[in-house]
Amino acid sequence: MKKLVSLFLALILALGLSIPAMAEGTTLSVAAIETAYGSEIWQEVTAAFTELTGIQVDLVTDKNLEDVISAPMKAGDFPDVVHLATGRPAALTETLIKENLLEDITDVLSMTVPGEDKLVSEKIAGGFTESSLTNPYGDGKTYMAPMFYSPCGLFYNAGLFEEKGWEVPETWDEMWALGDTAAAEGIALFAYPTAGYFDAFFYALLYECGGPEFFTQATNYAEGIWDTEEAQLAFDIVAKLATYTEKSVPSNANNDNFTKNQQLILDNKALFMPNGNWVIGEMADAPRAEGFKWGFTALPAVTEGGDRYSYTWFEQLWIPSEAANKDAAKQFVAFMYSDVAAEIFAKGGAIQPIVGFADKLEGDNKIYYSIYDNGAKAALGSFAATDPVEGVNFADTVFGTINSLVSGDKTQEQWIEQIKTDSDLLRQALK
Amino acid sequence: MCVLPAVLLFFVFMILPTFNIFRMSLYKWGGFSSNRTFVGFENFTKLFRDMKFLQSVENTLLLIVVVSVITMSLAIIFAAILSREKIKGQNFFRVVFYIPNILSIVIISAIFSAIYDANNGMLNSILALFKGADAEPVYWLGDQSIVIYSLAGAMIWQAIGYYMVMYMASMASIPESLYESANLEGASRIHQFFHITLPLIWTNLRTTLTFFIISTINMSFMFVKAMTSGGPDGSTEVFLSYMYKQAYTNSSYGYGMAIGVVVFAFSFALSAIINAITKRDVLEY
Repeated sequence: MKKLVSLFLALILALGLSIPAMAEGTTLSVAAIETAYGSEIWQEVTAAFTELTGIQVDLVTDKNLEDVISAPMKAGDFPDVVHLATGRPAALTETLIKENLLEDITDVLSMTVPGEDKLVSEKIAGGFTESSLTNPYGDGKTYMAPMFYSPCGLFYNAGLFEEKGWEVPETWDEMWALGDTAAAEGIALFAYPTAGYFDAFFYALLYECGGPEFFTQATNYAEGIWDTEEAQLAFDIVAKLATYTEKSVPSNANNDNFTKNQQLILDNKALFMPNGNWVIGEMADAPRAEGFKWGFTALPAVTEGGDRYSYTWFEQLWIPSEAANKDAAKQFVAFMYSDVAAEIFAKGGAIQPIVGFADKLEGDNKIYYSIYDNGAKAALGSFAATDPVEGVNFADTVFGTINSLVSGDKTQEQWIEQIKTDSDLLRQALK
Repeated sequence: MCVLPAVLLFFVFMILPTFNIFRMSLYKWGGFSSNRTFVGFENFTKLFRDMKFLQSVENTLLLIVVVSVITMSLAIIFAAILSREKIKGQNFFRVVFYIPNILSIVIISAIFSAIYDANNGMLNSILALFKGADAEPVYWLGDQSIVIYSLAGAMIWQAIGYYMVMYMASMASIPESLYESANLEGASRIHQFFHITLPLIWTNLRTTLTFFIISTINMSFMFVKAMTSGGPDGSTEVFLSYMYKQAYTNSSYGYGMAIGVVVFAFSFALSAIINAITKRDVLEY
C-alpha cells in the first residue's frame, strides 16, 4: 500500500512539474556575453521584443558566457540565440563554425524588421554581411548577424601631441621619425594590450600593403602569398614596430595584466596603441597624465598619399543549428536592427551597423565613428574558417609571436617561416 | 553487497570518465557536434611532432623538478627549525608560513604580478637600489628565459607552508628521548637531523612527495592561467594549459584528450617511479 501511495505522489509531482511548461507559449532562450557595454541593454532589448511580439525571452548574460553555456550545449541543450563574437580566448563561436553548428540566417536579411516596414537587408549598412565574419564558409550564405561595430585604429594622447607640438603621422616614414623624436624624450612609440590586439591592426595593414584582393588571398592562405612583396612589406612594418615597442609590454601582454599596457598611453610612457573605442570605458577610472585627451587615428599610409585603413571590428549574433525555436529566434535577430533596439543599445555605447545611424551620434562617439568620413577606408574580414588542424592556431602564430619579436627571442625570418608552414597546413583544411 | 554503492560510484565517476578520455583521444572531434571521425592513434603521432606540446612537456618537467626540490627542502628545513629549535615568535612564523595556503591562486597570482612588475614592481625596485635607477629592469614575466622561474617562485611560496605543517606534525611524534640520547653521545644538530629526524619522517615524506608532484601538474595550470595565459608566445605553456587551448580554443577536442591521456600516463608512471626509488624499510620506534 505504501508503495502505491508513493507511486501516486510521484506521479502527481511529475504532472505538476510538466503543467506550467505545457501552458506557456514559446519561450526564446537568449544568451549574450556581458562586455563593457553592460547587461542592462540586453534586459531592455529583450523586454522591448516581448512587448512587441508577445514572445517571452529567457535571458542569460555573463562575462564568461562560454563557461555558462558550453556544458549544457555539450549535453544537447542549446540556446536559441547567442550573442558571442569570434576572437575570444575560449573560441566557442569558432568551434561551432568549424563543427557546422550554426544555422543559415540568410533568409533573415529578407525579413521585415518587427515593428517597422523595412527589410533587414535595407537597414544593415553596406558590406557588413559580405565578409568572412558573417559568411564564414565563403558560400554567399550568412550564418552570423553583425552587431555592435567599432572602428579600430591607433589610440593616443592628443593632449601630449598638442603640448609637444607633434603632428599625428600620416605615413609609416613619419611614424618612425616620430618614434626617434619621442625616444629622445624617453617615450616609446608603441605599446599593445595583448598580442591578440594585432588582429585588427594586421588586417588593416594587409589592406594597406596590397589592397582588398591581396587581403582576400592572404586570409584564405593562398599558395605563395606570404612570399609576395606586399606580404614582406607588412612583415617589415610589424618587425620594425616591434623594435619601437615599450620593452615591458610582453610582460603584461596577457588576459590579466593587459590594462597595465594600456596604462602606458595614459601615463605618457608610450605614444600609440592598437585598440577599439571600448578602451575608453575600460580605462575610465584609471589615473592619467595631466591634460590627457583621447585621440584616434587610422593606420599611417605605406606611401605618401596612399590609402589609410581602419579595421571595422564587430561582434556577432547567431542561432545554433540545434536551437529549438528557430522561427522566433530569426524574428529576434531581425528585431536587432529596429530603431527601438538600436537606440537601447546606443544608450549603453553599443552601436548597431544600421544605415545612417552613426550620423545621429553625438560627443566622443561621433569622433570615432566619423573616421571613415575623414578619408580612412574600412577594412573588414578575418582569416577564413578551416577544419580544426591539431596543434595549429594561426592567430597565435601570426600575432602571438610578436611578443617574441619585441623581446628578441625570435627573428623576423623565424616568424615568417612559421606563418608559411602553418598557412600551408590550413590551406588544405579550408572549408 | 555493502561495498556495492562505493564500487558503483567509483565506476561511474572515475573509471567511466577515464575510459571516455581514452576513447575520445582516438577521434577527430570538435566537442559539440555528433560529427566524430575515428582516426586511431593519429592524434598521438601528431602530438609527438608538435613542437609547442614538447615545449609544454619541457616546462612541466622543469616546474616539477624545481618546485618540488625547493619546496620540499625548504619545508623540511623550516619544519625542523620550528619544531626542534627554540626561537622567539615560533607560532607567529607558523601562521605566517601557512597563510599563502589559505589564499586563492588568483590572489597569489595578483600579488606576484605586482611583485614582478617590470616598471613598479617590488623586485625591480630592490634591484634598482644596487644597480641604479637608470639600469635596464629585469622583465620577470616578459623575458622568456626567466618567466618560467618566476612562476616557480610563486608556486614555491604558495606551497611551503602546507608541507611544513605536515612535516612538523610528523616530527612532533618523534620521541624526545632519541634526541636526548643523541645529545649525550655528542651528535651535532645537523647529524641529528639526518640520522634521526629525516629517517623517522620518511614515510610521510614519501607520501607527500608523490602528492606534491601530481599536484604541481594541476597547480601549474592554475598559475599559468592566472599569471601569464601561457605567454609570452607560449613560453610558459604547461601540460594542462596546452591541453585546454587545443581542446577548446583550437576546437580539437580529440587532440586535447590525447594530451590528457599522455598526462595521465605520465602522472601514473612518475608516481610509480617515485614510489620505487624512495622505498625504504619502515623504521619503528
